[in-house]
Parts: sequence; structure tokens; C-alpha cells
Amino acid sequence: MEGKQRYKKIGVVGLGTMGQAISEMLAQKGLDVYVLDLDTVRLQNGRRGIEQQLDKQLQRWALTVGEKKNILSRIHDCTTVHDFAQCDLVIETITEDASLKHALFAQLDACCPPSIVLATNTSTLSVTECARATRHPERVVGMHFIFPVSHVEMVEIIRALQTDGATYEDARTFVEDVLEMKAISVYESPGFVTTRLICTLINEALHVLTEGIATPGDIDDAMRIGYGFRHGPLEMADRFGLDAVLAALEGMFREYGDLKYRPAVLMRKMVRANQLGVKTGQGFFCYNEDGDRL
Amino acid sequence: MNILVINAGSSSLKYQLHHMESQTVLAAGRVERIGSDTAMLTHEAGEQEYHRVLEVLDHNVAVKHVLRLLTDPQYGGVHDRAAVDAVGHRVVHGGEAFTQSVLVNADVIRQLKKLYDLAPLHNPAHVTGMLAVEANLPDVPQVAVFDTAFHQTMPPYVYRYPIPTVLYARHKVRKYGFHGTSHMYVSQRAAHLCGKPLEQLKIITCHIGNGASIAAIQGGKSVDTSMGMTPLEGLMMGSRSGDIDPAIVPFVMAKEELSASEINSMLNKHSGLLAVSGFSGDMREIMRRMDEGDAHATLAFEMFAYRLRKYIGAYVAAMDGIDCLVFTAGIGENAAVLRAHVCNRLGFFGITLDEAQNARAQPKERRISTETSQVHVFVIPTNEERVIAEDTYRLVQPRHAP
Repeated sequence: MEGKQRYKKIGVVGLGTMGQAISEMLAQKGLDVYVLDLDTVRLQNGRRGIEQQLDKQLQRWALTVGEKKNILSRIHDCTTVHDFAQCDLVIETITEDASLKHALFAQLDACCPPSIVLATNTSTLSVTECARATRHPERVVGMHFIFPVSHVEMVEIIRALQTDGATYEDARTFVEDVLEMKAISVYESPGFVTTRLICTLINEALHVLTEGIATPGDIDDAMRIGYGFRHGPLEMADRFGLDAVLAALEGMFREYGDLKYRPAVLMRKMVRANQLGVKTGQGFFCYNEDGDRL
Repeated sequence: MNILVINAGSSSLKYQLHHMESQTVLAAGRVERIGSDTAMLTHEAGEQEYHRVLEVLDHNVAVKHVLRLLTDPQYGGVHDRAAVDAVGHRVVHGGEAFTQSVLVNADVIRQLKKLYDLAPLHNPAHVTGMLAVEANLPDVPQVAVFDTAFHQTMPPYVYRYPIPTVLYARHKVRKYGFHGTSHMYVSQRAAHLCGKPLEQLKIITCHIGNGASIAAIQGGKSVDTSMGMTPLEGLMMGSRSGDIDPAIVPFVMAKEELSASEINSMLNKHSGLLAVSGFSGDMREIMRRMDEGDAHATLAFEMFAYRLRKYIGAYVAAMDGIDCLVFTAGIGENAAVLRAHVCNRLGFFGITLDEAQNARAQPKERRISTETSQVHVFVIPTNEERVIAEDTYRLVQPRHAP
């Protein structure tokens, strides 16, 4: 209850796929969400994306028209980073580009009171480096949400080297008491727990495929039915985007130097061919515009 | 004595200030969208109306605003806070712990918190409302009045479900029933209207509003009711399914790949009249379109009426007879066509409707059966706030006795 009193207004920077999903989830939980992107076109696209997601839920009977309206009314557009000064927490979900993130954290740091936690949703970049870009690095923390955000009730909370105990505790309270999701505590390390384990599984699935051991459909069915995954590893790669999986593996390969993280050759080839999965309609499987597998 | 009746929801707070001696409502209103800076406050006292959009971040602030308005020289109902003598709260779920209304103390709050699992949306809000009142009116006694309490007289063979006993032991899975204050109130009024002691009567009360439930009341005690562990069981409602084959739930979940919360939302918000008609969950709209010959509206209406009639028959069997049948709440009080449709096929039980009386639209207690009908049929407007105020009055009396 205490956490619920403290968190009313949440800032979200970047309305890409993750930014949309996080904003939608926060608004569904009854929070007021303040969103910002580079320009009004992106902001409008983001809002349209959220509306489409809500319409899908409406079709699945998860929402009523009134509830949809209510959720959208809790998402407010910002015009500058200074609008976040009034927020109780800010979550960054812009593109995975270190220098852009560092510049943004420096800006956020300058306009948000030092007691406000600044979080990054990065899945591959260093939270410690984001923290370094600020004058109050102790209030920077990682909050790694998993897509689809409203259905995956788990968040990795990543402690940078500089993150202090109070900041971690605030982030945990927010995730567990306000969002009512499971908080997983991790110390900074490339790929944390989730990305590191799932990308290695996907990479191994590509090796199994290139070695001609089984078809894509059978590889996925084996893991999906055999081990209770919602999607098999190849469809998961399609859903994350093969370029994102490749980038994550390259990052871990660079950091750890261990050959098990070396991206499979087929993955590079498919990325070069722009067969990125759901977002280009073609990956290991084919998808329609709604992202449903054909 | 002035009693403030509060119905605290998760993001709303409705209230009425009752003057007990004169049986009048001095002021009433509601605060909506609590937790936002665009909360809506509506207050009425006599001829005065007050509307405002403002920041209300929690129930505590909401209660402060309500008390400020109640004592406002222009809009208020009383002169100062000391004129609120007691507060009565509507509480949705009292579980097995509460069989009647109680004075709120630390122990009651503790027990209510244990019941959060059974009413996750409502009970936490009620407790928040009680704590907010305590913070603002520390010396004013508070009473909790439960929707479930009246039905605690049901015997085990009625309230238990034929599923593994361990689920009852572990999670208290059983029938509780709701709308208790309404069923109790209209059954008492029915006894009064037919001039017989409640103890000698077999009464069936149909509370048909947005939510709908029916109760079998024998000798003044609830012996069965249609809502169950949650308000989803029983009659078909505006947007709730009521009784369905439970195997439909896992079947649809698998076929449509729905999560537990999605199927829950489907059954509670996308079913009932709304689902069958395809356009509205509002009975007035359904009946209007039915008059125009709309087939979906007609089907929705017939299903609604049939399911209600079937429950009435079941409860006649449950009590081995019936003396009074009562219609109440939004639809029950206003939908004469529905009442006729239901009652005209219950002649076997000795029910004969006075068509003219039934068709008369007047918002007051009245008999709608003929003089010779073996069963008295009444329309009785419900008044849950009044029952809450009266229970509160009764429980706080000793404190005020000299």
C-alpha cells in the first residue's frame, strides 16, 4: 500500500515496441504514464501501437470499451525531457545505442530531483555506463521487462556498480508492490539471467538446424511441447528479431570471450538478407502484419 | 442522529448522510477516479448540487473532501463534523467470519484483511475507507455491513460445492451469496405488506439489477441464493454469464488460447445480455429493440426470463412452497414486461398476476398479484443504504445510551 501511494506518475522515454508495452501495462495498473519520443510522429505511432494492442485485447474479451478508454486517458504526451521533473520514476526504453542512452541519462539526471529513480530497460548494454553519465549514479538501476510485458509478470532488477541500496529497494518495491510482478535481483553482467540463457538456447537451436538434425517446425515443437515453452527457440528468435539476438550474442561473445556465445553463421546470413522474423514478416517462419504465425 | 453511509470501491467512494429520526437523506454524493489529479466529486444536498474535478490521490483525501462538503455552509447537510454520529460501511465479503453487522475495531480490520483473497477488488478498498474515516473522525464509531452476512444461515448441503473437500478447507471455496442487505430488507417489507409474521413465510426475492441474484427466505432466514463464491454464479445478468457448464471454461481457454484473467473478464464483462444481444447489457435497450422485432434482443430477453423462472421454480422446491414473490432493484422494479413474462408461466404454483397493477409504473411498494392469487407478488424498491444506516444506528445505540 505504501508503494502504491508513492508511485502515481511514471515517465517512459521511447515509444518503440517495449516502450508501448510498458506504458500500456503501467496504465492498466492505474498509473499515470508520461511518454516522450524524439518527435510527434513517433509519439503518435507509439500511441497508435498501444491502441492496436488494446483493440486486440478487446477482441480477446480481456478489456471493455470503457476500460480501453480509461487506459488511454492515463497516457500523457510529453514535449521535452523537463516534463519528467514531476514523475515519481522514469523508465528509459529508447533504441539500444550506448551513446544515445548516455546522453539521455545525463539529461534526465539534470531535470529530475535526485531522489527519483532512473531506470533503463536495456537488455544488453551496461547499466554501470548509463549510471556513469549522471551526477547521481547511485539512483540509476536496470529494469528489464520481458515482452509481452502485460503477460510476463517478472522483471529483472539490475544493480549497476554504483546503484545504492535505497535505489534497489525502491525499484523492488515498485515492481513487487505496485506492479505486483516478481522482481529478480541481478548484478550487472552482460545478458543478465534471461537474455544470456535464452540467446544461448536460440543459438544452439540454429546449430541443430544447420547440422540438418531436424526441421525448424520440429525443433520448436520438441522444445515447446517437451519442455513447456510458449514458443520454440526459433519462433522466439523471430519474435525478438534476429538482429537483436545477433547483437546480444555478439555483445556476450565480446565480453566473455567464450565460444559458446559465438553467433551461428546462419543467423548472420539471415540478418544480412533482412529475414529478421516477425517485424519483416519472414524469419524461420512467416508472419502476417498482426504478428500471427502463418 | 446522523449516520454517514460509505461504499468505498477501489477508485471510488459513494456516500449518503442519513438523519435517522426523520428518515431522510441529508446529502449524498460520490468521488470517482480516486488516485488521479482529475478525480470527480459530485455532491447533492437538498436543491444544491456541487461538481468539481480535482486532485484526490487517496481515500484519505477523498474522505476529507466529503467531510468538508458535508459541513460546507452552502452545500453541506450538517453544521460541523461533530454532527456525524456514526459511519456505516458497505462491505462486499464477510466470508464465514461475519454473520451480521459489526462495530469496526482493530480485530475486525485484521479479519477483513484475511478475506482479501475472496474479494480482491472490493475488500481492500473497504478497509482503506475505514482507515480513512478513522484518520479523519477518530472518535466516531464505525460499523461494517456485509453483502454476504444475511446468507450465512444457509445449511452446509446448500453452501458446499460437490468438489474436493480440501478446496473448502484450504481456500474456503463455498457458496456465500451477495446482495444480502437487499434480500433481507425486501423480505421484511414483504412480510409487513402481507401482514404476517416473517417467521411464518416462505419468500422468494429477486434482486434484478445490473447484477442479479435470487434468494429463498424461509422464516426470515436465507436458505439458498443464486450467487456463489463470487457474484458470477446464478442468474444471467447484464454482462455476466451466470450458470454455465464449468467445462466450457477450460475448453474455451484451450481453443481461444485465453489466460485465466481473460476468461474471467469474458465471463464477467462480455457475457450475459450484452453477449447474446450483441449490442447492449441494458434491459431497457433490449426490451426496446425486442419491440422492434430484433431477433437477438428477443433471444437475450427470453434466456434472461427463462433462467429467472427456472430459479424461482427451484426455490419453491427448496422451501416446499411459496407465500410471497418479490421483485426489486433496477430491472425488477421497472421491467413490467419481464415480470409478466416470468409470472404468467408460474400459474402452477398459484401465482396470478394483476396485469393492470403490474403495468403501472410507480416507484413505490405495491402488490401486483390479484386478490385471489395464492401467492402474493410484490414490487418493493430496495434501499441498501437505508439498511446499512439502520444497522449502524442499532449497533451504536448502546454507546449513546445514558
